[in-house]
Amino acid sequence: MTSRFHYDLVALVIFTVVIVFGVPALMNYDGFELNTFARYLALAIVSMALALSWGTAGLLNLGQAATFGMGSYAMAMHLKLRASNGLPDFMGWNNVPELPLIWMPFESLAFTLLAGLLIPAFVGGLIAIFMFRARIAGVFVAIITLAFLVAFQLLVIDQQGLTGGQNGLTGLAQLSLPGWTVDPYSMGFYYLVAGCLAVALAVGVYLTHSKFGLVLRAIREDADRTRFFGYNVATYQTAVFCISAALAGWAGMLYTMVLEFASPTYMGVSFSLAIVIWCAVGGRESVIAAAFGAIIVNMLEGRLSDVFVEGWHLMLGVIFVLVVMFMPRGIYGLLSELAAKLRRAGRQGNAASIDPSSKTQLETGQEQ
Amino acid sequence: MQQLQVTDLHVEFGGLRAVDGLSFAVEEGEILCLLGPNGAGKSTTLDLICGKTQPTGGSIRLNGTEISQMLEFRRARLGIGRKFQVPSVYRDLTVAENLSVARSRRPGLWSALTRFSLSDVRETEGILERVDLSSKREELAGNLSHGETQWLEIAMLIAQDSRLILMDEPTAGMTIQETEKTAEIFRSLSDSHTLIVVEHDMSFVRTVADRIIVMNRGAMLAEGSIEEIETNEDVKTAYLGH
Ligand SMILES: Nc1ncnc2c1ncn2[C@@H]1O[C@H](COP(=O)(O)OP(=O)(O)OP(=O)(O)O)[C@@H](O)[C@H]1O
Ligand SMILES: [Mg+2]
Repeated sequence: MTSRFHYDLVALVIFTVVIVFGVPALMNYDGFELNTFARYLALAIVSMALALSWGTAGLLNLGQAATFGMGSYAMAMHLKLRASNGLPDFMGWNNVPELPLIWMPFESLAFTLLAGLLIPAFVGGLIAIFMFRARIAGVFVAIITLAFLVAFQLLVIDQQGLTGGQNGLTGLAQLSLPGWTVDPYSMGFYYLVAGCLAVALAVGVYLTHSKFGLVLRAIREDADRTRFFGYNVATYQTAVFCISAALAGWAGMLYTMVLEFASPTYMGVSFSLAIVIWCAVGGRESVIAAAFGAIIVNMLEGRLSDVFVEGWHLMLGVIFVLVVMFMPRGIYGLLSELAAKLRRAGRQGNAASIDPSSKTQLETGQEQ
Repeated sequence: MQQLQVTDLHVEFGGLRAVDGLSFAVEEGEILCLLGPNGAGKSTTLDLICGKTQPTGGSIRLNGTEISQMLEFRRARLGIGRKFQVPSVYRDLTVAENLSVARSRRPGLWSALTRFSLSDVRETEGILERVDLSSKREELAGNLSHGETQWLEIAMLIAQDSRLILMDEPTAGMTIQETEKTAEIFRSLSDSHTLIVVEHDMSFVRTVADRIIVMNRGAMLAEGSIEEIETNEDVKTAYLGH
C-alpha cells in the first residue's frame, strides 16, 4: 500500500494545484469561464462519491442523482427564502397559504448546510440498511436504487407547492456568508468550489487507503468470505452508502450555487447515468480518476454539444460503450497498465545491461 | 474442557440428508481429523459449524453458548475460523492486504475507519516467513501458484487467530515436503488453538491427529485413535464401497 498511497498523495497534490492555480490562469481569470469550470468541479465531487461505493465496494448506485438533488434542493430552499419577502412566489401561485413547516428551518444557513449533508446520508443509509441486511447484491442494487430515483423524482415534481414542481426553484438569492456575498462569477466562488473538491478528494483518498477501504474491496470481491473473518458486511456497505450520499449532497449544494437554480432534472435517470459514465471514463478504482473523468467528459460536452446539439447524448452513449469494451478500468486503468509495463521494461533493461547471463535467460524466456 | 459440542445435527438439501444425526465434541487444544468418502458430509459439517449453512435440526455449542442460529460474522467473532476446500483468498488484493483483512481482532466500523489498510499486518510479522511468502508480500494473490494460495489461506487463518479453526483439505495439491511442513505448523498451532481438519492424506492425518472421526452418509461411522480407525471393519467397508 505504502507506495500506492504515496502515488495517490502526489496525484492529489498535483490535481489540487492544477485546479486551484492552473485552471484560473489558463482561463485568464475570466468569471464566466470559471463559473463553467466550477460546475465541472461540483460534478467531479458527485463522480468521486460514486467511485467510493461503486469502485471500492462494488455497489453500483444508480440513485446517486437523488441524493445529489436533495443537497441541491436544500441549498435552493435556503437561497429562495433569502430572496423572498415572506412566502416564496411559486407557493402563492400554487395557493399555498403559509410557509410549510419543512421549509421553516431552512431560514438558517447552518441548518441548511447540515441538512444538505445529513438528509442524503440518512436516506441513503435507510435504503442501504434495507438492501444490505437482506444481502441484496450485484445488479439488484442497481435496480433498487434506480427505482428509488424514479419514484423520488416523481414525488418532487408532484409536490408542486413544496418544490416548485417541474420548474424547480428559480429566482434564488446569492449565498451570504458573514462578510461575504458569494457571487458565482467571482474568483472567490471558484476557489470555494475547488477547495471543496480538494477536501472531498482528500477524504476519498484517505478512505480508500484505510482499513475500511480495504475491507470494502474484500467485500467487493467476496462478501461471504469476509463475513467469516468477523466483519459485519452490511454495516460496511451501509457506511459507504451514507458517506457517498453525503458527498453527493455536498456536490448538489455547490451545483445550485453555480447555476443559481435547482431543477428536478438533477434527479433524472439520464443525469444519474451520466455520473456512472464520468466515473467509468476516469476509472472507478480511484476517486481522483473519477473526478478527472467528470471534468473531461463535461469539458467535451461543453465543446461538442454546441456542434452536435441533439447528438450529444448519443455520443455520450457511444463513449460509454467504447469505454466498457476497450478500457473497462477507464483512463486510470490505462495509465496504471502503462506504468506497470514501463517498470517491467525498466527492470529488464537494467538486468540486461548489468548482467549478460540474465539477458540470455530473458531471451530464452521469450522463446517459450 | 469441551470447546465445541455438536448434538444430533441434521441438514437436508431437497430430500438429501447431507448430515444426519451427527453428535461429537471437541476438547480445547485438540486436533480432530474428519475422514470419510466423497460426499460423506464433512464439508457440510464444517459449513454448519461456521454458519455457512443453517441446520434443520440439532444444536451446536461453542464454550456452552448455542450458536446454531447465529449469523456467521458473529460466530467468527466468538472465535471460529474457516479454511475452505476450494482455496478462497482475495485474488485482487496483495498478499499483505489479504493478511490484513484476515487480521480481524477489531472488526468494527470505527476501528476500520481510523486505521490504515495495512496497520494490522505488523502484528502478524513472521507468519509470512513461516509459510515462505515474505518475498511475495506485494504480489497479487491471483498471481500465486496453487500451493502458494493454500499457504496464503493458512497464513490468513493463523493471522485471524481464532480459538477454533476449521480446515477443509488444507494439503490438497501440496508436495510431500509442503505437506510435512503444514503438519508441523498445525502441531504448533494446537498449543493455543483447537483444530478440526478434514483430510484425505492418511500420512498427514497420522502425524497431526489427536483423534479421528470417520463419517459416512452424514453420520458418524467410527471414532478413535489412528490405530483403532485403521483396524475398524466398518471403515474398511465404507471406503471399499461394499
Ligand atoms: N448446498 C448444497 N445443496 C445441495 N446439496 C449439497 C449442498 N452442499 C452439499 N451437498 C451435498 O451434500 C453431500 C455432502 O457433501 P459434502 O460436501 O459435505 O461432502 P464431503 O464429505 O465434504 O465430500 P468431499 O470429500 O468430496 O469434499 C453431497 O452429496 C453434496 O452433493
Ligand atoms: Mg468436502
